[in-house]
Amino acid sequence: MKISEKWLREWVNPSVSSDELVEQLTMLGLEVDDVLPAAGEFTEVVVAKIVALEKHPDADKLNVCQVDIGCEENLQIVCGAPNARVGLVAPLAKIGAVLPGNFKIKKSKLRGMESFGMLCSNVELGLSDDHSGLLELPNNAPIGKDIREYFQLDDNIIDIDLTPNRADCFSLKGIAIDVACLNDLKIKSVEPKEVEISHNEHIEVKLSADKQCPRYLCRVINNIDNTKETPIWMQEKLRRSGIRSIHPVVDVTNYVMLEFGQPMHGFDKTTIKGAINVKMAKKDDKITLLDGKEITLNDSFLMIADEINYLAIAGIMGGENSGVTESTKNIVLESAYFDPATIMGKSRDIGVHTESALRFERGVDSQLQTQAMHRATELIIDICGGEVGPINEAKEEKYLPKQKNITLSKEKLKRVLGFEVPSQQVTDILTGLSMQVETQENTWQIKAPSSRFDIAIEEDLIEEVVRMVGYDKMPSENLVGQSVIIQLPEEHISHNNIKNQLCNLGYLEAINYSFVSEKLLNEFNMQEDSFALKNPLTEEFSIMRTSLLPGMMQTLNYNLRRQHDSIKMFETGNVFHKKTRVTEDDKIIAICTGIRNTEHWGMEKEKLDFFDCKGDLEKLLDSSKMNYDFTLSEYDFLHPGRQAQVCLKGELVGWIGQVHPEICRRMGIKKEVYAFELFMKKIQNSSLPSYETISKYPSVRRDLAMVIDAEVSYQNIANLIYNELGENLVDTIVFDEYKGDSIGKDKRSLAVGLVLQQKNATFEDKDVDKLIAKVVSSISEKLSIEIRGN
Amino acid sequence: MKNAIDNKVLEDIRVAYLGKKGTITSQLKLLGTLPANERKEAGIEINKAKGKLQQKIQEKRQILQAQELEKKLQLESIDITMPGRKNHGANIHPVTRTMQRIVTLFAGLGFEEKMGPEIEDDYHNFEALNFPSHHPARTMHDTFWFDDGHLLRTHTSPVQIRAMKNMNPPIKIIAPGRVYRSDSDQTHTPMFHQVEGLVVGESVTFASLKGVLNQFVNAFFEKDLKIRLRPSYFPFTEPSAEVDVEWKKEDGTTGWLEVLGCGMVHPNVLKSGGIDPEKYTGFAFGLGVERFAMLRYGVKDLRQFFENDITFLKQFK
Repeated sequence: MKISEKWLREWVNPSVSSDELVEQLTMLGLEVDDVLPAAGEFTEVVVAKIVALEKHPDADKLNVCQVDIGCEENLQIVCGAPNARVGLVAPLAKIGAVLPGNFKIKKSKLRGMESFGMLCSNVELGLSDDHSGLLELPNNAPIGKDIREYFQLDDNIIDIDLTPNRADCFSLKGIAIDVACLNDLKIKSVEPKEVEISHNEHIEVKLSADKQCPRYLCRVINNIDNTKETPIWMQEKLRRSGIRSIHPVVDVTNYVMLEFGQPMHGFDKTTIKGAINVKMAKKDDKITLLDGKEITLNDSFLMIADEINYLAIAGIMGGENSGVTESTKNIVLESAYFDPATIMGKSRDIGVHTESALRFERGVDSQLQTQAMHRATELIIDICGGEVGPINEAKEEKYLPKQKNITLSKEKLKRVLGFEVPSQQVTDILTGLSMQVETQENTWQIKAPSSRFDIAIEEDLIEEVVRMVGYDKMPSENLVGQSVIIQLPEEHISHNNIKNQLCNLGYLEAINYSFVSEKLLNEFNMQEDSFALKNPLTEEFSIMRTSLLPGMMQTLNYNLRRQHDSIKMFETGNVFHKKTRVTEDDKIIAICTGIRNTEHWGMEKEKLDFFDCKGDLEKLLDSSKMNYDFTLSEYDFLHPGRQAQVCLKGELVGWIGQVHPEICRRMGIKKEVYAFELFMKKIQNSSLPSYETISKYPSVRRDLAMVIDAEVSYQNIANLIYNELGENLVDTIVFDEYKGDSIGKDKRSLAVGLVLQQKNATFEDKDVDKLIAKVVSSISEKLSIEIRGN
Repeated sequence: MKNAIDNKVLEDIRVAYLGKKGTITSQLKLLGTLPANERKEAGIEINKAKGKLQQKIQEKRQILQAQELEKKLQLESIDITMPGRKNHGANIHPVTRTMQRIVTLFAGLGFEEKMGPEIEDDYHNFEALNFPSHHPARTMHDTFWFDDGHLLRTHTSPVQIRAMKNMNPPIKIIAPGRVYRSDSDQTHTPMFHQVEGLVVGESVTFASLKGVLNQFVNAFFEKDLKIRLRPSYFPFTEPSAEVDVEWKKEDGTTGWLEVLGCGMVHPNVLKSGGIDPEKYTGFAFGLGVERFAMLRYGVKDLRQFFENDITFLKQFK
């Protein structure tokens, strides 16, 4: 809502500066977004009239004008504006004038013709960006008068960002009430003069939808001259509120809307066939609006109709066929109350946003219609003349909003605010906000004004009180009350802990969007059980991610293309699936590529591989103290021979593997990329450390060497070893793997160190020998492997 | 012995005097040939010499060992300015860092961390929070919808409802998380992070809300900053306020910067959460994590948080 400061001060004029007034508005909750001067800075611009005009002898597009500025001699001005013509009254910047942007006007020669100043458009004076030609002033504008004075331009445009609850402040009156209350002043309200009626013609009104429109006023005004110019003062006020002047009838209805907050509408009387009927639309009916847009309706639209046609979508916009133009002589003025819930959302549905819809959907004062009608009539008659008929009012009292009775108790006021407000001050504030206040011993009985749709309960009144007291004057208190120690389950590994572990392992945290493109998801063949947004911003962010991998691969690729060769990153976040219902699972992904450590003079530069990634995963899982199983898996986004699923007690925890080289190739990634993704919840359970006596006896190490076939996994061997040694085995070290022709194709040799220790005795060599022999025979029998132990 | 340059020479000397056939050993052997009255004295003298020699040798040996060690250590010297072996360095995301900081500060005041789902229903995201359907306040939230009527939560406020339903007053929770709005430009990303705070109890007042937020802002920025509460509107609080912080801009001027929204929990919201508004009051606040991170670390462009450029991320060690 943009308003002129001068106009506001006509309603209420606190003795504070412009800056202070703006600060007051903001601190009232009427947040000022911007304050702009009503016009650019300029001097020495006066009202001038073109009295003679000739074509420039040497330039097609220029005219040489003789201009009267009220001095004895006319000035010669060379001008290129298309609307320059004899009789035109327009602003003239005299020699010595300074226009916005510090543009100085000097005597000049244009193609050999002297020019003693410049005729100006809106743009040159910083009034608007309309550069269609010279600013046309009314014919009766006083020649020679300073334009700043004539337009009263020493003013500010205050742009207020209204919150949706303050429907009442879509008017000067509403804003003025707040400012007046704060400054302990009274508003100087505009009291419309009732124009005497000169005929009895009226249009019948039927409220078929009385619930949606419980009050509808209309009045016939005949024989107006709508070709008249809207007075400059009104045009300027409208302009400063961001509304363009069209013709007097539209200008007046807009003006009254700005004054009181009542949107009104004018119909061309000759287009109305019979009575007006306010009714709901029928599905698939159509109407063409004033702006030429054709709207297909449904039964939730409230319409203004006559006996044959729709005339307007109630509260939103009039129809093209019934609109008032400059040549309209006889009009029907509408002033109505429409139920906010009926109008709400409609302008969004049809993409037609109007000042009227904005006000009706938030709530227009239901007691305002008559006053607004009188005010508009008065102004139209003043400008256009005309013969006024009686006001015809149709209403359904039972559907009009009821005035709310609210009790505010002193106890509650103190309990919510936490400090005392003197009772007299409370009474003054509520009274100042146009409420009817009945003060009792411990309460105030309040009747809220019909303009305040936002006041319904006690808390709303408390806000009004503290708003006027000033949020900045409110004391700051400490939070008191029982303090409870927060539970801290020690067996639970926190998010933060897991993140820190990954950082320590060299993984940098990323945060990717939760939605990805369908194309990307398909690339990984992860579209199963995925689901899309109904209204995505772009295709790129259209589907909820089913895995953290695709987004992370994009991030990896983004960085590979920016000269980062070795990358380790992780992310935690939700993935989303929809089977019978939507599920979201918290997951963690870590991804790595490049070399094992940072490149170093004292180390071999080695590419990191599956086992670096697995090692990191094992370290991460270590704090849970659980035994996770790794088994070969069959995910098609991973390298078929380098992937595993990670399980805990038979339940899937996640996967680890090399991202399929073909996917990498299609993304333009040449490196091997390894990753693991886990369910966060399934790695967060641990157990309390539990003390065990430390063995005083030395441990013994024995090494095994074996050659195994391709289909035998280390896990097979490890299981057999554990079966034989049980608790005596305190550590297993795989210290060598060898593949080569010397041991046969598809075979490999493994060397495993076993560390044995007993809790309560020293291991005798002969006992160790026996145990190792059992291990050797178990492995060689069950896996027919050639094995040596020593 | 002075010239003994190493252990071997020293050992030769020792053998020459103290060895089986050494001079002193021989002297001792000859003691028996001396007359009995001289024997004792001579014995004392020889043993004295022997002891003295042994001591000298021992001293010399220690000197030589020390010299040797020194030589060895000298050979082992390295250029300690060469870089050490290290793994890739890493850190958490600045948004996480900021979120953890905020949560930690409130945890100190007894706030318990709570999480909620990102896919919400209309009830939790709007209705229970006192947004009537079609209400213009809903247009303040550009919502991502799904076909089945679910939505991506537009704020962390739904956690308020879930917490109140599951807990009994006094309630003090802090709820960080991802939120979504269908808006994307220089100052908006379609996904961002919020932290929601909720306190419900018997003496929870608007003045205490102001006090808590004042403390929080000062603790977060580790500065004595001026804040101001300014009337505003959220359907789920009444009275409602925006909180501005007085901030020194780059050009040296100071101005008010909006950093969070807050208010007293609306009685309808308390009722949605199963709490008696006649007995309890509550306050709630919500803040944008990226906003705080930008102010704290001087990040200029919001969108950088989600580009995940390593060079950017590594600045937040």
